[in-house]
This record gives sequence, C-alpha cells and structure tokens, in this order.
Amino acid sequence: MTTAQIRLATLWRREVNRFMKIKKQTLGAPLLETFLYITIFGAALGSRIKHLHGIDYVLFVIPGLIMMAWAINAFTNNSSSILQQKFQGAIQDQLSSPASPAELLLAFSLGGFMRGLIVAMLTFLVSVVLVGLPVEHVLVLVPSLFLVGFFFSQLGVLIGVRAEQFDDVAFAQTFVLQPLIFLGGVFYSAALLPQPWETLTRFDPIFYMINLVRYGFVGFTEVSIPLSLLALTAATAALFLVNLRLFTKGYRLRA
Amino acid sequence: MKALDIKDLEKRYPNGVEALRGVSVEIREGEFFGLLGPNGAGKSTLIHCTTGLAQPTGGSIEVFGNDAIDHYAEARQAVGLAPQELNIDWFLTVEETLDYHAGYFGMPRRERRERSRELLETFSLTEKKDERTRTLSGGMKRRLILARAMMHRPRLLILDEPTAGVDVELRLELWHYVQKINQEGTTILLTTHYLEEAEQLCDRIAFIAEGQIVAEGTSGELAERFDVPNLEDAYLALVGRKELSRSHIEMAPEVEA
Repeated sequence: MTTAQIRLATLWRREVNRFMKIKKQTLGAPLLETFLYITIFGAALGSRIKHLHGIDYVLFVIPGLIMMAWAINAFTNNSSSILQQKFQGAIQDQLSSPASPAELLLAFSLGGFMRGLIVAMLTFLVSVVLVGLPVEHVLVLVPSLFLVGFFFSQLGVLIGVRAEQFDDVAFAQTFVLQPLIFLGGVFYSAALLPQPWETLTRFDPIFYMINLVRYGFVGFTEVSIPLSLLALTAATAALFLVNLRLFTKGYRLRA
Repeated sequence: MKALDIKDLEKRYPNGVEALRGVSVEIREGEFFGLLGPNGAGKSTLIHCTTGLAQPTGGSIEVFGNDAIDHYAEARQAVGLAPQELNIDWFLTVEETLDYHAGYFGMPRRERRERSRELLETFSLTEKKDERTRTLSGGMKRRLILARAMMHRPRLLILDEPTAGVDVELRLELWHYVQKINQEGTTILLTTHYLEEAEQLCDRIAFIAEGQIVAEGTSGELAERFDVPNLEDAYLALVGRKELSRSHIEMAPEVEA
C-alpha cells in the first residue's frame, strides 16, 4: 500500500471504528426503528390498505424505509462524528497530518455511508426473508441507493462542519431532514394526496429518491427514472464539490 | 539546514484580533529551541500556523525547506505536535490512538505496531494500552499525547507546554526523553511557562509578546540583553513585572533556638 492509501484507509477505519464501538446506538436503534415501522405500517395498516397501485402495501413501504434508513444513518453519523471531534479537539490530529482535503472529506463521507449501508442491508435481508421483497431493476436500484447514501453522507459532513453545537445537528435532522423524508412519500403515493399537497410533494427532492429506490425494488414509480437519476447524480456531485471547497479552505475546521 | 524558517508571519483572526504581527524565527536542524511568552502572546498561534491548524494571513513558513502551505504534506510529515490541550479521541483506546495517528502519516502496519509498543513502554502506558482514553488520568493523557506526537518519528517535534500540570516524575522522564531524541538529531521547539525548564533544555530561546518576537538568544544572552542576572529576571523585565524578581524577596529572619 502507498502512504496515501494507508492514510485514507486509517481515516476511514477510524470512522467505522467509532460507530462500531457504540453499535447499540448506531446500528441497533435504527434497525429496531425500521422494524417497528415495518410492523406498524406493514402488519397493522397493511391489513386494511392491502394494495397500493396493485402492490402489496408492505412491499410498497419497505423500499422507502430502506432508503430512509440509509439516508438518516449516513447523515447522523457524519454530522455527529465531525462535531464530536471538533468539540473534543481530536480532529486536530487528522488536520495536522499530511492528509489532503479530499482524503479527509472522503474518509468522513465513507464512515456514514458504511453505517447506512449496514443498516439498509440488514433491513433488506430481513425484508426478503419475512415478506419476500423483490428486486425488479437491480441496475437502477444499486446506483440509486449508492447515490442516496453518498448524498446524505455529504449532507451530514456539511452540517457537521458548519455546526458549532449539538443543537445545530439536531435541528437539521429533526426540522429539515425528517419532515422532507416523511413528506416525500415513504408511506403513501403522491397520487393519493389532494391538491395542493400532491404538487407540493413534487418539490421535495426526497420524493424522487424514494421513487428511484421503489422502482428498483418493486418496479413502480411516479417520476421519470432517467431524469431523477441524472438530477440525483448532479446534486450529489455538487454537494461533494461544495464540501471539498470547505475542506480546502478549512472552513470552521482550521482557525 | 533550517528545520523551521518563519518569515514575517501574520495571523489576524476574523474578529480582528492580531495574534501574530510579523514574526520571524529560524530554528536550525538539531536545535532545541524555546519559545517563551505570557498567555496570549501568540505561541500557540505560531504553532498552529506551522502545523496547519491555523491559516496564516501573511508571511511564510518553511519546514525543512517545504512551504507549509504549498507543500503542506511534506511539511506536516516532518512535524510532530504535542498540543497544550488534551485533544484525545474519546472513542479510541490508548493503542488505537497511537496506531491511527501513525496511519494518518502513512506508516505501514508492522512499523506502527513496533513503534507503538516501544512508545507505550517508554511512557509507561503498556498496562493501559487497551483502555479507552477517556478513562485515563490527566497525567496519563499527557503521556499519551507526547507518545502520539512521536509516533511517526518527526524530524521536528513541537511541544506546546508539555509539562503543564504534570507530576515531577513525568516532567523529569520527559526531560530525559526529549534530551535523548534531541541528541539523536530531532529538532525540538518547546513552549513552556517553566523558565528553569527552558534554561535547562534549550540551546536558544525567543521571547514573544503581543504577537512579536522581542528578543532571541541563549539564556545568558537574554539575561545580558535585559541587564539582569538570569533568564527569569529577563522574562519578568519583558512582561514589565521586575518587582516580582526573587532577588527582591527579603529573606525570612532566622528563628533563634
């Protein structure tokens, strides 16, 4: 391995090590939360709603839950990790190393990405076993999920770098991210909403992400798949570039 | 060769505070250099600018000929920093702290293991190697920070008040260790409030006050410059507190039996 590879691997290992050391909180709790959603919306509501657009209600909901799990875990992990390290001062050890801004950004991003991936994979496997969740379009599903994971990893990094107190992270998650996810159609179809809510839902970027993932799993979508993929790729790349600029300038990282 | 070459360094914070106002310092390779000054004089800011933790607003810094901004990777590779604050990662164990630090500097695994074993032993941390850092006492945390700074075998070791709040035993251990590695060729920049420490260890000393280097030389040269008998009195003259000189303290009358 080259020194740059050792450096990047170590930075990434530190991020994974952090969440693995508190896995009851970082993996256990989100898994429980996802299974509770599946139980309540799948078993309880599903027995009354039965089908949505010809798809079992529980199968309609699970793709959105998998996306939500990946998104929230990627975001939470990165925003908390960066803020904690800034708060402890421990981030100085990394900032004073020869690591480049891109290496630092990539390592912080991949930490949350991995945590989201683990929670999403476990949810997927349990869903396959319990309710026979299909995968209809793997070539759409895999890039969509990876892009969603990377997008929210970047968003977590951005909020973590900007945050000066834990309240800032909690605010972004509770008052911005979660409402956008819940109103993006995880549990319902936008077509069922009365106006103006149906139109408003289409202004929520997460609506498109959920549709991409839902299309990948069960083959149903309310949006254009190529356009949504293109927009998500562009948004993820833009966010990465914004973060790279912040890391290069040392914004709220270096005095 | 110059280990550290700082020219006209300026640092103005966004709130307008001028922490460094045209600082120029040269530290030769293999030298043991002391930087003394009152709190808020700019010592830590100078160190942060050298290690990339702060961004200079003017001037230049070269570490072994590498510009600290344009060739930051080469410059930082050569520097080990033991900061004043106990900035240890709470999630890591003692051994992981050393291992990860060396990894950030690109050291291969086998070399990391050998080096961490050696430094754990040197700093009496072997028994604590599997403990989480947050459970360590203040003295142990200080030992760990010092060991961490030395993990990647830096050519320039920066010790920012390394003995603040540590017991006599660790202070003396540290003195012995840094003198040994200095003799082996490591250049050392030390900031301290303990003047006897600077006097004992440093080849040359600079006084910094209000973001400027106001005097530089050996301990004897500084005393001569301020026309006082020793380094402590020179320092007191610098900060305008000559009246605190020990030579002014009247000896207590002997108690008659």
